[in-house]
Amino acid sequence: MKQQNGTMSRAESPGVRDEAAEHEPEHRRWLGAVLAAGMAAALGTAMIGIPREHAALPAVARYALDVSLPRWGLTEPVNEIVYGTRGFDTFGETFLLLAAVISVVLITRSREARRGYFGEAQAGQREQAQCDPPEPAGATERAARSAERREQGGLAPGDARGPATPDATPLGTPAPETADAMTVVVRTAIRIALPVLAVAGLYLVAWGYSPGGGFPGGAVLLGVVLLVYAGFGRRRISTIIRPGLLEAIELGGAGAIIVTELLGLLLRGSFSANWLPIAAPQTILSGGIAQLFSASELIEVSTGLAIAVFALIGMGHDWSPDERSGPDDQGGPR
Amino acid sequence: MIVVNYLAAVALLCIGLYAVLTRRNMIKMVMGLSLMEASTYLFMISLAYRSGSTAPVLLSPPPGQSAGSLVHGNVADPVLQNFCLTAVVIGVAVTAVFLSVVVRIAQHYRTLDAGQVREMRG
Repeated sequence: MKQQNGTMSRAESPGVRDEAAEHEPEHRRWLGAVLAAGMAAALGTAMIGIPREHAALPAVARYALDVSLPRWGLTEPVNEIVYGTRGFDTFGETFLLLAAVISVVLITRSREARRGYFGEAQAGQREQAQCDPPEPAGATERAARSAERREQGGLAPGDARGPATPDATPLGTPAPETADAMTVVVRTAIRIALPVLAVAGLYLVAWGYSPGGGFPGGAVLLGVVLLVYAGFGRRRISTIIRPGLLEAIELGGAGAIIVTELLGLLLRGSFSANWLPIAAPQTILSGGIAQLFSASELIEVSTGLAIAVFALIGMGHDWSPDERSGPDDQGGPR
Repeated sequence: MIVVNYLAAVALLCIGLYAVLTRRNMIKMVMGLSLMEASTYLFMISLAYRSGSTAPVLLSPPPGQSAGSLVHGNVADPVLQNFCLTAVVIGVAVTAVFLSVVVRIAQHYRTLDAGQVREMRG
């Protein structure tokens, strides 16, 4: 926030112009154009010769379509390929996603210990409590605080951050609006859309109707969390969106995938072979281990994406002080 | 005429490549990489297309066809659709890692200009 203010004040002051906004830095424009044109020519030539819309299906696709219904009981061949025929591919992809999430967690790790993705630093709390224990408020402080509360339109006493939920905010108060939540219109729309989104997403995954199973389902669950975050503020999701909880659940999902695939090796003699009984098509158990794999993938993908998104959002707290400018210029750490 | 889609995917890839090669703003370089990823999705979905075909779903096939005839008939290639799903997930993961690196570089060097990120500061 303060970084933006600083840039704006520099841009508005006469004589000094914000160069980044005026001039887009580029480099080696001609070399880039020649290389991109060469790439286009090479790939375009190749595209002329590849199979088009009248070509026969490749053997692997015909095999997958053949075995999908009789051997797996799945009416969705894409699902059968993701979790059955090419299960090993998906297995590797899962751990590529896990590696990426671990990289994001490592890169975004804050320099101070924090309570959650959004919480304040808690590193110095113990020392502060020892050196400067909280004192009971004096008469002057109480008078000043109550005057401030009156000025802000009578928010909950003792809570400078506003009411407990955004829904309790009185409408039309003179105080500045908190940026904690969106308006009542958006919140109502989210309340209506959210259950539909969550139930539809989970139903399609559970019955195996969605191509890709856990992958789109995990993205839907992340969408649910992000809708709550955008509409109701960070305090509403802070009990669930915690690094400790999300990372444990994600590794639980990854462990379930490993166990599911390894049991195929132990019980049926081949990695990712089906070891569960196959139920009738269009039921929740119809795919055997494909459904188990898909559900574990849902856990893994939804928590992994949530970790990546909220770690990126939480990085905003972590600006280091700018050594090039003096303390008078910027006013403390940013 | 599906070759038009193939060529559009090539064009998209080359626009992304041009952005990565010539831009110095690192956010725009990541956007260029995302364009290159998107061209892969377009290419694979176009490659899966068969003229006059239906979706590879064996549940309630279109009139005149049964699930059995669909298996041997004219459907879009499900394997390439699977590859596209894989590519989407990998694209998301790679973009997340790139963006977190870019934010760290911006916090450390106070610039998004790749041309200015040269010095090694501890």
